[in-house]
Amino acid sequence: MNTQNRNLVMGGLAIAIVIAILAPFLASSNPDGLESTAESLEVPESEAVFESPLPDYAIPGMEDNPWGGVVSLILGVILVVMVMLGLTKLLGKRKGKGPE
Amino acid sequence: MHIPDGFIPLWQCAIYWIIAIVAIGFALRWARENLDERNIPLLAVLAAGIFAIQAMNIPIPWGTSGHMVGAALIAIIFFSPWAAVLVLSIVLILQGLIFGDGGMTALGANIVNMGIIGGFVGFYAYKALKGVGRIPAIFLAGWASIFLAAIACAIEMAWAGTFPLAEGIIFMGLYHAVIGVIEGVISVVVVLGIDSVRSDLLADWVSSNKQGTLNTKQEVAK
Repeated sequence: MNTQNRNLVMGGLAIAIVIAILAPFLASSNPDGLESTAESLEVPESEAVFESPLPDYAIPGMEDNPWGGVVSLILGVILVVMVMLGLTKLLGKRKGKGPE
Repeated sequence: MHIPDGFIPLWQCAIYWIIAIVAIGFALRWARENLDERNIPLLAVLAAGIFAIQAMNIPIPWGTSGHMVGAALIAIIFFSPWAAVLVLSIVLILQGLIFGDGGMTALGANIVNMGIIGGFVGFYAYKALKGVGRIPAIFLAGWASIFLAAIACAIEMAWAGTFPLAEGIIFMGLYHAVIGVIEGVISVVVVLGIDSVRSDLLADWVSSNKQGTLNTKQEVAK
């Protein structure tokens, strides 16, 4: 990765992490459009089919602590970047193996 | 508009899953043909930014809130709706698996709405509107991507028997007509931001770089 691209990744990640730090403090806890519609139309809430490790971006046991949300979101940001880079590297390699 | 488990019967979930898997196949083919060392970093950090900003719910009237989705933005920047399908699929899979945001049974439907419909509406709306000017076209493409994804979601909810059709469309349409403004504004800001630092990474149709015969960065690079 050249310097320009490294700067881009670092700058972009910095912005994503700033959003991840701010979101648990600033984000509205009002229901979203779909949830509001469901409430207005009196659709009962449903249960998730499986227990995710960090439900609602909170660390289990400290649901009311916004810093748990910060940690969850930063973890998510890092995971998304790793999956994207890993996937695209994988696709690139396959391309390299093919006939020129 | 992440649909939770329990809102769609399983047999209908299976249909959306199949559509999503086929679309992901096309998206991966797009990635293999179009991504290289030059543009992969931008796609990766945009995906991370979209993940983060989807947690930033902004209040709208009627005690409701909404957040950016980002599909139109990706489709415009990378000149392909498949780019949006790729990014939104990865974001939605991780949100569902790890953070319980969107049900796993509804994951296919969420990819259909936010990735496929969001990406294709954003792409073709920008294509149709770019004659009126880059900034209004980005804004309107972002707005339309959210609005039509929400209408599709309301129709799916009606088919599932969860919402009545007319009321579902009215409520979903009303809320997302407002949330679409958030989408439009942030999309414009992000494109202008990237344009100011790395206009070379934007697709020609949205970059200010294309007529730039006197591009200082290229001069320096030489």
